[in-house]
Amino acid sequence: MSHIEPITGRYVQVDINGAMHRIFYEEAGQGTPLICLHTAGADSRQWRHLLNDPEVTSKFRVLAFDLPYHGRSTPPDQWWLRKYQLTAQGYADVIRAFWQALGLVKPVVMGCSMGGAIVLKIAVDYQKELTGIVGLESAAFAPGRYNEFLHHPAIHGGELCASYTMGLCAPATPEANKRENWWYYAQGGPGVYAGDVHFYSFDWDGRESIKTIDTGLCKVSLLTGEYDYSATPAMSEEVAASIAGSRYTLMKDMGHFPMIEDWAGLKRYLMPELDSMLA
Amino acid sequence: MATFPDQAWFSEFQARVNQDKELSVIGNWFSTRFSITVDDSRRVLVVNSGQITQCIMAPRFDSRPVFGFRAPMAIWQKFLTPNPPPLYNDFFAMLMRVPDFVLEGDGLVAMQNARALQRLMNLMRKESV
Repeated sequence: MSHIEPITGRYVQVDINGAMHRIFYEEAGQGTPLICLHTAGADSRQWRHLLNDPEVTSKFRVLAFDLPYHGRSTPPDQWWLRKYQLTAQGYADVIRAFWQALGLVKPVVMGCSMGGAIVLKIAVDYQKELTGIVGLESAAFAPGRYNEFLHHPAIHGGELCASYTMGLCAPATPEANKRENWWYYAQGGPGVYAGDVHFYSFDWDGRESIKTIDTGLCKVSLLTGEYDYSATPAMSEEVAASIAGSRYTLMKDMGHFPMIEDWAGLKRYLMPELDSMLA
Repeated sequence: MATFPDQAWFSEFQARVNQDKELSVIGNWFSTRFSITVDDSRRVLVVNSGQITQCIMAPRFDSRPVFGFRAPMAIWQKFLTPNPPPLYNDFFAMLMRVPDFVLEGDGLVAMQNARALQRLMNLMRKESV
């Protein structure tokens, strides 16, 4: 039956380290701000099920934005004169600039994959400004995803990145959901997934710094899919072991993209974590 | 009974591939030769426009596979189970996390055909149909 979804999409002009960026974000709900970070090479559409779920949006003001270069957020000026390579600091700067531009107070920041990595840095650097973080598929150190084929003139980058990442879904994931995520990946800009994976594979190492996270200031919840071979359950367990007071749960029959692979499946694990953020 | 990697198994696999609706849509440019090696046994598949036109069971040195996948039987068996365990559910997973699963030859050609190749490889499990 035809209907209009409750999600709204808007643009915000954000000053990030002196450069203006036009950032697209989707929003739904009211309550504690919940910022959702998409995976490498993707965009905010991955969060559409969560944004449409009244059990979440009755408690949280959910905001999912596209990183610069992703989805409907344009790259900054002079982008054609530099190679896109995301860094941990640059990534964190974007996220903080976003919540400051919107005047969000004590948000929960939830990210998946590279988003699940950067929320750890966010918690290290800005724990007094946050209610907490939710890391989906979080790793403090995760080399190995980068390869030169991801941005190569003889290869269709969209098809390769989409297929490369579809293997990260669990076998039990409904076929239509795998293919939806494939489609989002196929629409990524040239070299963007490779640039994101640069952060994830080379620049990111939070193994020592995450030990400074005080869960009395910033709550930490970690959920990882059984079939994730990029940020494996063992990697997330290591993160949990490094952060006293953190909560970690293994999600059976789930892969690397739980919010788009199987929202109902993720929701069973996620709602207790979101409730813990409000407690 | 067909047993991987015997002739009967490859005949069934060839039929699955050649009847696959998705490969008929995406396989138009997928034409190559690649090998599947199990321990010391090598097979070469000849693919034309997404169809397997020949399974060479005893390839000679003139079979000329452009690339290939090589692994011990124990790894292939995990990949081929109806519900493969974590790290064994996709060839990309094994390339990243299973050191004895190897892409040999010209990986560029494999990655140029990644979408169709992934579909074809997953059809090695008949449950993927």
